[in-house]
Amino acid sequence: MKQKVIGLIDGQSGNIGSINKAIKEIIKGRPYQLKIIRGEFDYSLFNKIILPGQGAYTTLISNLKKLKIYKPLKTYLENNCSYLGICVGMQILSDHGYEEKTTRGLGIIAGEIKKFKSKKLIIPHMGWNSIRLNKEDPIITNNFDNKDFYFVHSYIFQNIKKSNVLANTHYGKKFPSIVKKGNIYGVQFHPEKSHKYGLNLIKNYILKS
Amino acid sequence: MLKTRIIPCLDVIKNKVVKGVNFKNIKVMGNAVEMARYYSLSGADELCMLDINASYQNRKTFIKTVEAIAKVINIPLTVGGGVSVLSDITDLLNAGADKVSINSAAVKNPKLIRQASLKHGSQCIVVAIDGKRHENKMKVVVKGGREMTKKELIVWAKQVQSLGAGEILMTSMDTDGVQNGFDSSMLKKVTSNVSIPVIASGGVGNLEHFYLGHLTKSTGLLAASVFHSGKYKIQSVKKYLKKKGVPVRL
Repeated sequence: MKQKVIGLIDGQSGNIGSINKAIKEIIKGRPYQLKIIRGEFDYSLFNKIILPGQGAYTTLISNLKKLKIYKPLKTYLENNCSYLGICVGMQILSDHGYEEKTTRGLGIIAGEIKKFKSKKLIIPHMGWNSIRLNKEDPIITNNFDNKDFYFVHSYIFQNIKKSNVLANTHYGKKFPSIVKKGNIYGVQFHPEKSHKYGLNLIKNYILKS
Repeated sequence: MLKTRIIPCLDVIKNKVVKGVNFKNIKVMGNAVEMARYYSLSGADELCMLDINASYQNRKTFIKTVEAIAKVINIPLTVGGGVSVLSDITDLLNAGADKVSINSAAVKNPKLIRQASLKHGSQCIVVAIDGKRHENKMKVVVKGGREMTKKELIVWAKQVQSLGAGEILMTSMDTDGVQNGFDSSMLKKVTSNVSIPVIASGGVGNLEHFYLGHLTKSTGLLAASVFHSGKYKIQSVKKYLKKKGVPVRL
């Protein structure tokens, strides 16, 4: 049986240790192999790509360009190939990010990334918060509804089509915490830091989606 | 709704969790990796570990301990103690820490906060502040409370926020180790003057103390002895808080 290949992109945006460990545990004894992507790659060799990210939108985009990951990743996504973006790895799917400066994103899921607005809120939104499911999906079965995941971010996905939102979270106001278009997923929280439900989500993404 | 975080704190020398007052009568509480694993499984929302004797010799073992802990837990890990230059932060993040806390070094060289947050992102830079009352003023102290600085607590708290800290770990040296409860007035003063998350530290002795800590608008509540001694389990603290109407992750 031919092994499926999972690519884990190291965009030098935070540590990939936890997610690397989580993927290895999940695929142990299963027909998958994991490859770390640190530079230009042949996108046709990968069945799934995961991109975790922390910090700034602008930094991640410029890192991906510097590392020559940007172009093959964009082509991969434009072909609707399977992807899971975590935190900033999700945010860069949008058209634009408005952080220190405006940065053009991958333009895969229409919308933009803007800062939480309310002055009363403690920012960053840091800690465990629950998700409410918009619809069912192989990566989030019913029992994920109302479960807590670990968030740490100051920016949220805005002006996104409702049909692209799988789950919302409430902090000051409702914002998208899981997005999806075709085979492309993005989560605003860190499943690799979110204990058992987080690991289940990664497992579902790898094995069921 | 955002949940209040319950954070056990491990004071570590090499690979052992210890309890001691001013480095005297140090008592080993257990193996750091085993305790971290236990807390992660039993419902801690985050873990904090501090190298309380960051000498050159001990440091290598401590970093190995961070690596070993990062491998066995799947909740966020904050690591501090002995962080003095930018490369210390990079080393700890590479070892698997999600956040690094800076204390004395930030007081000595506030630019370090900006450099660190620009390099790694605010979300992983925690500034630990030790506060103490002195002549009716709240001041910043360093070196485990042994050295008073000229900095006023609130001025410093605001400054670390504007320098790019993602979070403040606030310990009151007036209540730390006494188990009479958090320093509510100090914490309220800090939370009402900054808009980044504040973790309350120092003084928990019973369940009500956790609730009073929550009332200070601190979003994280840190404790050591009550957990290490087995007096309370994480879940029993959370169940108590839930009954009191505090949002927690159960």
